[in-house]
Amino acid sequence: MQPASSSAQVPESLHPSGSSAAGPQGAAGRTKARAAMPPVDRGWAPYLFLAPYVVLTAAFFLMPFFNAIALAFYETNGPRTRVFVGLANFRFLFADPMFYRALENTTIFALASVFLQLPLSLGLAVLLNSSETRFKSFFRLILFSPNLVGQIFVGILFSVLFTPRYGLINRSLQGLFHWGLEERWLTNPALVMPALVLTSLWVWVGFNMVYFLAALQSVDKTLEEAARIDGAGAWSVFWHVTLPSMRHVVVFVVITCIIGSYQLFELPLALLNTTDGFGPDNSGLTLITYLYEMAFRSGDLGLGAAIGWVVTLIIFTISMVQIRASRILED
Amino acid sequence: MIEKFPYGRAPFWLLIVAAVSSIVRPIVARSGSSRPDLLYVTFSHLHQETYEKVVGEFERRHDIHVQFQYSDWHVLQSRLENAMLAGADVPDMVEVFEGSLGFFTRGPAADIGLLDLTDKIRSTGLDRRLVQSRFASWSTGGRVYAFPHDVHPTMLAYRRDLVERLGIDVKSLDTWDKFVEAGRRITRDENGDGIIDHYMLDLPGDGQWGLETLMLQRGSQLFDAQGRVAFDTDVTAATIRWYIEQTRGPAKIAYDAGMDQPLLKVMTDGLVLFYITPDWRSGFFEHELPGLKGKMALMPLPAWEPGGRRTSVWGGTGLVISRRTKHPDLAWDLAQFLYYNPKEGGERFVGTKIVPVDRDEWGLPELDAPDPYYSNQPIGRLYADLAPRTPPHYVTALTVVAQRKLNEAYSRSLQHYERFGEEGLDRAIREELARAAEYVRIREERNEALAQVQ
Amino acid sequence: MDVVHWLLLALFAPLPILLLRSGSAAAVRYARWVAIGLASVVVLAPFVWLLAAVFKDRSVFNEYVFFPPLAQWSSKTMNLGNFVELLRGKPSVDGPVYFWQYVLNSTVYATVSTVAQLGVSSLGGYALAKYEFRGKAALMAFMLGSMMIPSVLLLAPLYKLVVDARMVDTLPGIIIPWIATAYGVFLFRQACVSVPNEMLDAGRIDGCSELGIYYRLVMPLVRPMAAAFCLIAFLQHWNSFFAPNVFLHSQRNFTLPIVLTMYVNDYHDTNYGVYLTGTALAMIPPAVLFLALQREFISGLTSGAVKG
Repeated sequence: MQPASSSAQVPESLHPSGSSAAGPQGAAGRTKARAAMPPVDRGWAPYLFLAPYVVLTAAFFLMPFFNAIALAFYETNGPRTRVFVGLANFRFLFADPMFYRALENTTIFALASVFLQLPLSLGLAVLLNSSETRFKSFFRLILFSPNLVGQIFVGILFSVLFTPRYGLINRSLQGLFHWGLEERWLTNPALVMPALVLTSLWVWVGFNMVYFLAALQSVDKTLEEAARIDGAGAWSVFWHVTLPSMRHVVVFVVITCIIGSYQLFELPLALLNTTDGFGPDNSGLTLITYLYEMAFRSGDLGLGAAIGWVVTLIIFTISMVQIRASRILED
Repeated sequence: MIEKFPYGRAPFWLLIVAAVSSIVRPIVARSGSSRPDLLYVTFSHLHQETYEKVVGEFERRHDIHVQFQYSDWHVLQSRLENAMLAGADVPDMVEVFEGSLGFFTRGPAADIGLLDLTDKIRSTGLDRRLVQSRFASWSTGGRVYAFPHDVHPTMLAYRRDLVERLGIDVKSLDTWDKFVEAGRRITRDENGDGIIDHYMLDLPGDGQWGLETLMLQRGSQLFDAQGRVAFDTDVTAATIRWYIEQTRGPAKIAYDAGMDQPLLKVMTDGLVLFYITPDWRSGFFEHELPGLKGKMALMPLPAWEPGGRRTSVWGGTGLVISRRTKHPDLAWDLAQFLYYNPKEGGERFVGTKIVPVDRDEWGLPELDAPDPYYSNQPIGRLYADLAPRTPPHYVTALTVVAQRKLNEAYSRSLQHYERFGEEGLDRAIREELARAAEYVRIREERNEALAQVQ
Repeated sequence: MDVVHWLLLALFAPLPILLLRSGSAAAVRYARWVAIGLASVVVLAPFVWLLAAVFKDRSVFNEYVFFPPLAQWSSKTMNLGNFVELLRGKPSVDGPVYFWQYVLNSTVYATVSTVAQLGVSSLGGYALAKYEFRGKAALMAFMLGSMMIPSVLLLAPLYKLVVDARMVDTLPGIIIPWIATAYGVFLFRQACVSVPNEMLDAGRIDGCSELGIYYRLVMPLVRPMAAAFCLIAFLQHWNSFFAPNVFLHSQRNFTLPIVLTMYVNDYHDTNYGVYLTGTALAMIPPAVLFLALQREFISGLTSGAVKG
């Protein structure tokens, strides 16, 4: 038995922001690899097939990439000035309260995504799963529809909806609960993160619901039947039979969610466009908007590159954790 | 055949669409015109349209081809920077936003990709014709790198009909103290539904332009003339405190009407009486709210102390010329043609209410015309009279950073106030300002260390 | 207690009734529909608002939350002004540029990108799935790492590259640099792995070339993944704003998101109505695509990860 460790991280990210993801191959992949061993070397074929990808990547990714990562060790000031400063950028970063704020905000957002967004997606998927087919497609489209538009649009749309006194959200709150007409979602530091989370819920609950729906459909019904015959209640069946059968997808979705959260950029930028994505007292600052600010608005590409390193390392760490997690879940 | 397509139906149709559209596009789309002699990029549609209308005469006179392009401001900044980094594809002339010049002039002087205009401005007497204080925004290290487009004196626009109905005599509001006092009288809930019916002044809740405009009026700056951090002062702290009191205090008089549509609604409803209005904003109101014609009027800003400055400045545009341009003299002439041209100045005022920055144009008859929108006041004359007193606005590479830090300090002071009230507020404000200023100083030192190594 | 509260009461009241009368199964079914219905309302509300904003006249934009009450409907409050403005030619140095030209630009950009990505990714994914070769592990590790880099970081050096290649301000300039995508390759790898090797061997015995195997045998088997990939790639490119915004300079080359955002980013004249109208129209192609590909999208998404 050959653990296909090198191919353990097969991403299936279809995150609309195009962010990276690492998906669980886990037992599924290993089983397949066991059953269908790859054939021996076929000479030029694989190289030829991968050539387009490799050539394009080498041309348009590698060169900018090396350029960018090297910059982390330089300070830049103006178009030509560049001085090697070693780790000074990183030292500045780790002493900058804005960096920690960005890290805090982004992490909170990631946690909110996992613990708010995913249960909602899962819940909706369960609800939708047990209904008639015709309506299911209809509701699937409706709940997925926020993903048909871009993040920038969602940000701008919600910046208008959150307008105090006249916006849809405040007026709805006032009508339903007689509260909240003047709440300043985007200028009150305490409400900026909730506003961002709510907006992200609107977009991505439907998206992850689609994943969970597909997973639910592929769960072995006989297992569920068996459990029910044994006298288990609906919740018990779900928790002990259905959910474990879906664990690959669940882990995958959780990881995609977290990684997408750490790469969040366009949404806060558009939502908090009056403050360039910062929000009052940096309450909306995320790691990538912080990077963008440092690199492009204050013109210090070196600092921007240093932040890029840090973000990459964070995502790398999370991916490593995910390998462990999915391996553990196998056992 | 469709079924046989290995990738499936959708990819098949996508392929068809891709092929067809790729073939159609070069046929129907206009090809780019030949490389212009002068490429001029702006971040304002209004400017682009205006310039395109008038440039024909200039083109004929000099037998050249000028092309105008529009670009979103953030992208334009990025594009210009990237172009200068890449050393290629730099437009000849670019309009840049107030406060951004420092970004392009950071680094050693030899590296600056913009034409140094100082000598020619002095030799042609332009420095005497234009309002002096404006050069502050467009200079670095004592050298001028951009043409000032405007002066943007700032007044208060108000709903004259409501103000009269409420018995406020605007002529008596010559200091902010008197203004606040009058404001307290009328900012209250008239009909008992728990919601305040009138606010005196529109101020953004998180500081931003409101705080900075008031600070500038008061003489407090983000940076001083030497480019050093200068907002860590008692005056700034006092202004922040005043701002907090007026927007959040128990006797508050200000409301955050926002921008665009919500602002227009607030104005139409008359929820707020007075609005901080530079000349461009007065034109904006005229254009957007024709329904308020005759109901609006303008008054100078109340002063901070008796006899003090009664105007401020908000916003502005500058024109830079790339050092790589092949036609620097033509670029200079085009700038004169578009910016300091009495004919253009008159038309621009009529269209946008922006008063000329060139003193020679202040005699234009258009400025004295009574404006029916603003209750027949000659608003051009009113603004032009205030123009010489507009405060300078010193700009450095870290202007944006400093603005953010100032807002952060404001926000944190506000949070202190909301948690502890007035107790220890002054000390908290000073602490926050000190912290913000310190951060900017550290960034400054980084940049200086760089320049020295060169 | 007002209209809204009565509505809510009417919505939830049947629950206890059903519970008592028809038992928990019926009540649960009803509750399920209520929950789905509420979720749909929450998701759709901004779109209804969007629809109303499309037809509302600018002067009443903030006056009414959705549509004006029927009594107030008139050409002053509801009209097609936004469409007129949207379809008006925007002046540019190359002459007026019309809405359909932006649609064309976006179409070329999105479809060519998608098709090109499909080709490159499927080829590469198949190679990774079904071949062993030297450097394979290194390549895959590299590809994984490349997906963790925030793409914003690469913007500045990439811009220089594109300028040097004289591709700036052209559609090829925003298409070609982004054709190679690691996650696309991995997606197809995942899908191709489950193709039985015996089939490949049979193909070889029949004298099929390696490329032929890929094209005639393997690709038809991974159609769901191809469909899913096409949908996502198309969505991403159709709505892409950031990179095209930086790389395109001329009005005639702009794609839809760029042009539409200009309506709300202008310093003198923001017009949310037109922006929302344009975006509503721009939603149609992705919606159509999604409707057509729903089923394949779902099965493609989870092929491999779910089964087994």
